[in-house]
Amino acid sequence: MSRVYVGMSGGVDSSLTAALLVEQGHEVTGVYMKNWTQDLPGMRCPWADDLADAKRVAVQLGIDFKVFDFEKEYRQKVVDYMINEYRAGRTPNPDIMCNQEVKFKLFLETAREDGAEFIATGHYAKTENGKLLQATDGVKDQTYFLYRVTKEALDKTLFPLGELEKSRVREMAEERGLYTAKKKDSQGICFVGQVGIREFLSQYVERTSGNIVDIKTREVLGRHDGAIFYTIGQRHGLDIGGGLPYYVVGKDMDTQEVFVTKNLNDEALWRRELQATSVHWIGGSLPSGSRVQVRLRHRGALVGAKVHSEGDNLRVMLDEPERAVSPGQSVVFYDDQECKGGAIVL
Amino acid sequence: MNKEVIYLDHAAATPVDRKVLAAMQPFLSDAFYNPSAPYAPAIEVRKAYERAKQTIASTFGASADDIVMTAGATESINLAFHSISGHVVVTSIEHHAVLEAAKRHEHTVVEVDGKGMVDPEVVRRAIRDDTELVSVALANNEIGTVQPLRAIAEVVKTEREKRLQQGSDVPIYLHTDASQGVGQLDVHVSRLGVDLMTLNAAKIYGPKQVGLLWAAHSVSLQPQINGGGQERGLRSGTENVAGVIGFAKAIELAAEHRVHEAERLRKLRDDMQVKLLEAFPEAVVSGHPKHRLASYLHISFPSVDAERVLFILESSGVLVATGSACAANKGTRSHVLEAIGLEPSVADGSLRITLGHLSDETTCRKAVELIIEAVRREYSRTGVL
Repeated sequence: MSRVYVGMSGGVDSSLTAALLVEQGHEVTGVYMKNWTQDLPGMRCPWADDLADAKRVAVQLGIDFKVFDFEKEYRQKVVDYMINEYRAGRTPNPDIMCNQEVKFKLFLETAREDGAEFIATGHYAKTENGKLLQATDGVKDQTYFLYRVTKEALDKTLFPLGELEKSRVREMAEERGLYTAKKKDSQGICFVGQVGIREFLSQYVERTSGNIVDIKTREVLGRHDGAIFYTIGQRHGLDIGGGLPYYVVGKDMDTQEVFVTKNLNDEALWRRELQATSVHWIGGSLPSGSRVQVRLRHRGALVGAKVHSEGDNLRVMLDEPERAVSPGQSVVFYDDQECKGGAIVL
Repeated sequence: MNKEVIYLDHAAATPVDRKVLAAMQPFLSDAFYNPSAPYAPAIEVRKAYERAKQTIASTFGASADDIVMTAGATESINLAFHSISGHVVVTSIEHHAVLEAAKRHEHTVVEVDGKGMVDPEVVRRAIRDDTELVSVALANNEIGTVQPLRAIAEVVKTEREKRLQQGSDVPIYLHTDASQGVGQLDVHVSRLGVDLMTLNAAKIYGPKQVGLLWAAHSVSLQPQINGGGQERGLRSGTENVAGVIGFAKAIELAAEHRVHEAERLRKLRDDMQVKLLEAFPEAVVSGHPKHRLASYLHISFPSVDAERVLFILESSGVLVATGSACAANKGTRSHVLEAIGLEPSVADGSLRITLGHLSDETTCRKAVELIIEAVRREYSRTGVL
């Protein structure tokens, strides 16, 4: 029996997480991390409702409940990072950054200062002796978002849902009569929610229009209202009429040109070799030339690859070419069930 | 929620009375005509609407010509403040609608005592040569304290006479929001001595979004909503016929049963108060012990998180309000509790229990048991008891 602080978002996953920990005999404290409270145009931020729901479940379970206010840090470490990455023409993943900086760093530190021995979250993943392992529910597995968490943090973390199928989680929440058992899962990036990244970014970045250019013919096909809003592989929202769809294959942030192709087999859309930086290994680095499996997006298939070190960076040689790899997204390495770490695509 | 609900939040909302609903129903369907239309069935609707306004006005000794129907108390309050340009005096425990409206004027906020009572003498001292409006709610919406409105009216009257003698043409009026008092107190305008009065149907078993502003002949109201010129040009927009007819029925019933109902609620309330204080001698009851709405019991359990108690009660079907900083109000502590000097650790343990038609001996007894159980559960969890 340990003192466990569980991050409760007001959703069904973290509600059941708290319930299971109580049943296992731990001394549990529920914590709502107040990260983002701003309304966005067309979307009311549901934080107050979520906080109330988290607290309702804590009261149901008869556990202590606290609010940790990380709004300032979240803005700096996650939101500003995300905006700056987009400005630089890259496609960042704020969930990965949130886990690295907020949930498994700030929350862990704050909880431990407050007397916690462990933290817990409702992530679908498993830990074992500081290793990060894929969840039993392969579809829900969230290790892609967790690869930048340190071994030390994983040592102090419990993931009670790692062995459970999502459908079972709902059933178990209902069996226990948890208030949030039937609550809808949140969609997309937590604070951006349903609004979409485009609308969110529009609040913070200046719109600079530019040309949409055919990468082969260099023909100007139309105008767009900001290269920042486009990502590699994107098909929708180009607004150039007629015929086959166009795909974004590249962009130049200086000239604000967005390059497109009609050819789905265009080599610019497919990558066999990736350069990656900002490498993070959970349990020590792999030797250069190691064979691994990689995942390039959450829920993406695992593909075979070889990883070579090149100074601080990595060169990843994929067995099969992968479509639409954007600078800024993460390449995450697996050895069977174990997530070894990852890096950010250049 | 499948459990039987025990509703203890009549100050927030009341269910529409069956008689009120029955009175409204024809005007939502068969008699749907626009009261401004020229044909006979529409004229019938217009007459019914005018009759309803007369009914409403007569319950508080006024003329239908002096009331403006609005979409609720907030709009009425805003209309009152919109109609004057000078300095205003309000109390620190007014509803947000009044405090926000006052911010658009030069204003003075007068303090209240620990029981939430306004001292007319303090109001007198706050009045300046250019004060045009004094606004004091008849009964406070959080703790139920009933203000000495008659005495405040005397202060305003004295100031008015002084100005007359001095040849000043700056008017001064007294406005009251009587929304929370109307079902239990006498709101006859001449007996209250006010110049403007706001009322709301939603607190007296009428429909929501229906209110009125009464203003004495001497007050010149200025419209804030312009258009087709309804309500003598003071509040344009097609009349909410069914709503006003419902309001008329609701206020008629309220006036008829007021004295009896207040007595009934007072007994129930006092009984709950005694039992809760017996169980928790350290609990603090707020509001004036005597001059307090009969339906109100504002009680604080020091060091308890009232929101947790609310959630426990909610799961047993008991619905109450908290007077504390909770998620629902985004963590803001009540300005009323601050104004009466309640310590934060006490304020945060506050429940506002307000009784009404849905309350009887059985539900109140059951509610007390469940409240005691919930508070004990919280005390034992935190190790206080």
